[in-house]
Amino acid sequence: MINIDIAATVVAVLTLFGIYSLMAISLNLEYGVAGVPNFGQALFVSIGAYVAGITYTRLLPILAGYESIHPCGPTMGAALQLRSEIMATQPVAGFINLALTMMIAALVAGAVGFALSYVTLRLKEEWFLALVLLVAGETVRILVRGADDFICSNNGISGVAQPFYFLRDPGASSFLFMLLALALALIAYLYSERLVRSPFGRMLKGLRENEEVTRGLGKGISLARAQIMLIGSAIAACGGVLFALNTGFVNTNDFVVNLTLDVWVMVVLGGIGNNRGAVLGALLIAVMDRFAQVGAIILNMGGSDIEFNYVRFIGFGLILLWMLRYRPGGLLPESRLTTDAHDVVGRLLGK
Amino acid sequence: MPPALLTTSLVNTIQIGSLYALMALGITLTFSVMKLPNFAHAEYVTAGAYAALIVSLSGVLNPLVIMIAAFAVGALSALISHLAVFKPLEGRDVSFYTLILSSFAIGLIIRYILFTMADYFNLFDLRIAIPLRIVLRDGNLILSNLFAWVVPTSVILVIILTLLLNRSPLGREMRALANNISLARVIGIRVERVKNYAWLLVGGLAGVAGALWGLQTAVHPLMGWGAIISVFAAAILGGLSSFSGTVLGAYVVAFSENTVMLFLNANYGLDLAFKPAIPFIIIIAVLLLRPQGFTNLIKRAEELQR
Repeated sequence: MINIDIAATVVAVLTLFGIYSLMAISLNLEYGVAGVPNFGQALFVSIGAYVAGITYTRLLPILAGYESIHPCGPTMGAALQLRSEIMATQPVAGFINLALTMMIAALVAGAVGFALSYVTLRLKEEWFLALVLLVAGETVRILVRGADDFICSNNGISGVAQPFYFLRDPGASSFLFMLLALALALIAYLYSERLVRSPFGRMLKGLRENEEVTRGLGKGISLARAQIMLIGSAIAACGGVLFALNTGFVNTNDFVVNLTLDVWVMVVLGGIGNNRGAVLGALLIAVMDRFAQVGAIILNMGGSDIEFNYVRFIGFGLILLWMLRYRPGGLLPESRLTTDAHDVVGRLLGK
Repeated sequence: MPPALLTTSLVNTIQIGSLYALMALGITLTFSVMKLPNFAHAEYVTAGAYAALIVSLSGVLNPLVIMIAAFAVGALSALISHLAVFKPLEGRDVSFYTLILSSFAIGLIIRYILFTMADYFNLFDLRIAIPLRIVLRDGNLILSNLFAWVVPTSVILVIILTLLLNRSPLGREMRALANNISLARVIGIRVERVKNYAWLLVGGLAGVAGALWGLQTAVHPLMGWGAIISVFAAAILGGLSSFSGTVLGAYVVAFSENTVMLFLNANYGLDLAFKPAIPFIIIIAVLLLRPQGFTNLIKRAEELQR
């Protein structure tokens, strides 16, 4: 049997859980709360990762006081070495760079989400938005992959190190990175819980349930949906930055439609319209992913040559079909939301 | 652009365009009759290609037998996805996005079952083993017997399908379903049976397209999925409702992917790596600027004929 380092496994699963939570909360706000069908989640996650690929190769050296070296082609090795050196010796530059990366990623993804949805939501059929987002995700992927200078086309960018790399202790630095991912996920969760309880959140739910009535009450529906796409995309892009840092790579092959479907599986499994459900879905998928990896290693060592990754996707397809048919509300269905005002009124009425 | 390249790219346009037409007609048919944008359609193509490959590997090299096997497997997978997934969901009146998501899920399941099978039996990137023979050589242009198979077969199938939809009783019933399903039920059309036939037809054509495609390129579990966006682009050019518009759209997409792309490459140095972006650009442009596609254009042309 193989030895499984339990502490390292828990840290890896929880890091993945934090990253997946950001993606799932984002999709839950967009589809679960507002009913906007985002089939382009991979696009917004990938924007975060591409921005990280650019800032870590262009911005980081400047922040640390070096000339930036072109990351692709003949100077690839030198650039990679410079990156690693800065990440190992200059933590402050690394943190500033990470903060700026997050901000730029959130801004760019938010702007893209807002623009795409604001334009397409006025189309004849509402589901065209789903198609446009799906297609836009693949288009951006192909354009980035085809462009030589962006993130080195097919090669991608390696050495996108996590910010605690300077500790030179893999255990400690991945533990701190896990805390960072969980903290960001917690912020996103608290923020979206507040958002769904706000008047804006109630209007979004109204939109989801009945567009005509909400419009009749004098609410601008295109703008509201574009706004929630802005918020959701920004959160997804932050997830994308962490995703890139977690693997250490930025490669266009990671951002295919399957990533979008993974996020959909989380939300459908956990509960559509319920933030807690989205987080539960993210946890379950993170755990399943890890077990699938361990299971694959054990199976292969046992002499089986079935590729476990394929089985994972078949399983995800079956989970989706099962949940959609038998438990469309998910494991934690959407519940009635109460606000502070609700409690106050309840007390006044003596209930 | 050198003329030899132009001829080759035009030949490619005809070849690929015919295959796109076969697949896109299925998308248009599912969308208009079943009210469903079926993303699992790509996997019926792949399943058909694998059926054809396996039959040819077992030693049967008669193209007709191969096509029939591909048709059967494609039709069967389409019918199963209808009976096991879409029909129960439709009965529950679920949201449109649930249907889209289910079609993605079916696609995932079929694709990765094929992956597992191909991995287990080592069936990656094989060609359907019909021997190649050159039937026409004219300068740089080389046409093999495969071209002689692929193009006439797909063109004939497209014509048969169009006739079937426009002239036959079954086609009339399908169009009635597409127009108004409750009305169709009231006037005594057996809706469920017509739907089953439609699914068999859609999946079968996709399977045959996969087999024809496997004749010219290597068979891989991703081949159908790799083409789905081009096929959707063709169907959207047809407004997702007009059959002749869809066929026209298929050739337009193939033309832009082959001839236009080579032209841009030769004259403006555009990297061929950007070729997959073309159908995406077509989809976004059509949806934003002209969501009805060619529909009105074709209607107007028909009115002029009268």
